[in-house]
This record gives sequence, structure tokens and C-alpha cells, in this order.
Amino acid sequence: MTNNEDCVDVGAGNCDDALARLYEYLDNEMDDATAEGIRSHLDGCGGCHDRFDFERRLKVVVKQRLEEDVPQQFIAKLRHALEEEAARH
Amino acid sequence: MAGRGVRPPAGQPRRSSLTTQVRWMPVPSERMADQATFADDAMQYAKQLYAAAMRMTRNPADAEDLVQETYLKAYRAYDTFTAGTNLKAWLYRILTNTYINKYRKAARRPDEVELGDVEDLYMYRRLGSEESADAARTTEDRVLDGLVESDIKRAVESLPENFRIPVLLADLEGLSYQEIADILEIPIGTVMSRLHRGRKAMQKALWEFASKRGLLPENAERP
Repeated sequence: MTNNEDCVDVGAGNCDDALARLYEYLDNEMDDATAEGIRSHLDGCGGCHDRFDFERRLKVVVKQRLEEDVPQQFIAKLRHALEEEAARH
Repeated sequence: MAGRGVRPPAGQPRRSSLTTQVRWMPVPSERMADQATFADDAMQYAKQLYAAAMRMTRNPADAEDLVQETYLKAYRAYDTFTAGTNLKAWLYRILTNTYINKYRKAARRPDEVELGDVEDLYMYRRLGSEESADAARTTEDRVLDGLVESDIKRAVESLPENFRIPVLLADLEGLSYQEIADILEIPIGTVMSRLHRGRKAMQKALWEFASKRGLLPENAERP
């Protein structure tokens, strides 16, 4: 990795190891022990903490702003289509 | 657990491998879902499926058609769905397969498109260094708050399909890597790699929107 000059290798594992698993951590795709190791690293390393925090906040923003208001007319149309399908059998 | 008790949606070829065949066979000891309860069970996911369909098809009329077709297929196949298993993932599987079969051909895009190499932490690296933690936080907030819905949506839509669908399933729908792997019938390692590269490419697109909106600090690296 480059641009890790404000990172120090502290806690469990080092910065490169933590950053390599950033998404698995943020996506809750880690077993508890591994996640605890990452948390321990983030507690001691401000550089990694800030990086993880930015990515976490971006993920929240992306999810929020991808939501759609589904038109109520469409929901009604969908229910109607299902009722028609049911009536056919 | 999208697979067990699930039959491929109508029009999908059955896979020849033994393991895949077995996965799709109903499990006799478990309760089959009742068609009469389908609307009550499934309508709660309509809003989420519609949002995913909007980003897949890029327009409301096609999104409505895609969601309606998904619900009708799911209704017809509902007696093969094992009650108590993952209904949301099952619906997403049908939605995704329907989209791929119906719209990808029309778009005349190659199945697999590669993305150029984009650095990790693309946005974070370019935010520039600030004197204090508070100043850095302010800069980050300005960028994150200033990116509007249409920026995020266009950034996702700019991704090639084989990256866009995993990103949507993970970031919009919050599905697990295993669920995405089952839906797309790709290995979990491929899901992880496409998510990683897709998210980086999305950040690159977002950075360009942030720059156009004048959200970037003086010392930031411009696109």
C-alpha cells in the first residue's frame, strides 16, 4: 500500500492486512474473532480508523440515496396483476 | 440460503450438474409455501425490488415491467418455494435472472466487461490532507452530504452490469456474499472481487460528480 504514512502498525495485525479486509469487515462478513482483531487494530491506529470510517459513512450514503419511492399506482397494479393471475387458476 | 427448494424461474435452463439439480429439488420434509399467502408474504419486498430494478433497467417503465414479471413468475412457482427459507433472496434471484435474460440481450453489451484499474480508497486518498481532524471531517462531510441522489444513482448506473448487480445486491439490498453468489451463480471469491472493483469504480465516478459540484477542497486532487 502507499499513502499509509500516518499509519502505525499497532494492535492485531498491520495496516495492510486490515485494509485488505476493509469491505469484509464493513459488510459483516467476518467471524467474530477476526472482526475483533480488526477492531483492536483500528483502536490503536488513527489512520486506519479514519479510512474505515470514511468507507463506512460512504456505504450508508450510497444505500440511503439509492432508495426509490415506489409509485403507489404501481403497487396497486401489481396487486391487481396477482389477483388476476390467481383468478385464472 | 437462496438455493434449497428453489426451482429455476420459468425459461431458465436447468443446470446439468448433480449438485445444482439437487439444490433445486423440493425438500419433502419441509412445508411448501402456499400460493394463497403469496401477496401477503412477498409484497413487503416490492419497494426494494423496484429500487434495484430501477438501477438495472435505468427507467421506470422497464423497472415496473421487470418487477411485475418477477412477481408473476414467483407466484406461479411459489409452491416450489420452501416456507421459512429466504424469500427475499429467492425474489432477487428471479428478478436478476429475468433482467439478465430479457434486457441484457437487448442492450447488446458483452457479457463480461472489464473495468480499468482504480486505486483502493479512491475518494479518501484524494480528499487532501487537512491540518486537524476536525477540518478533515468537515471536508469529508461536505463531499458526502453534497453528493445528491442523482449522483449516486448515475455512478451506480455507470458500472458495467457484471459489477453493477453485485454492488446493488450488497449496497442497496444488504444481501450477504453467499446470497449474492447463489443468486448470480458465481463463486463467492468472484462476488468479493467484483464488489471491490465495482465500488472503486463507483468512487471514481462519484469523485467526478463531487468535483463538478464544487465540493472538493482547494488542495484536493482533481479528476
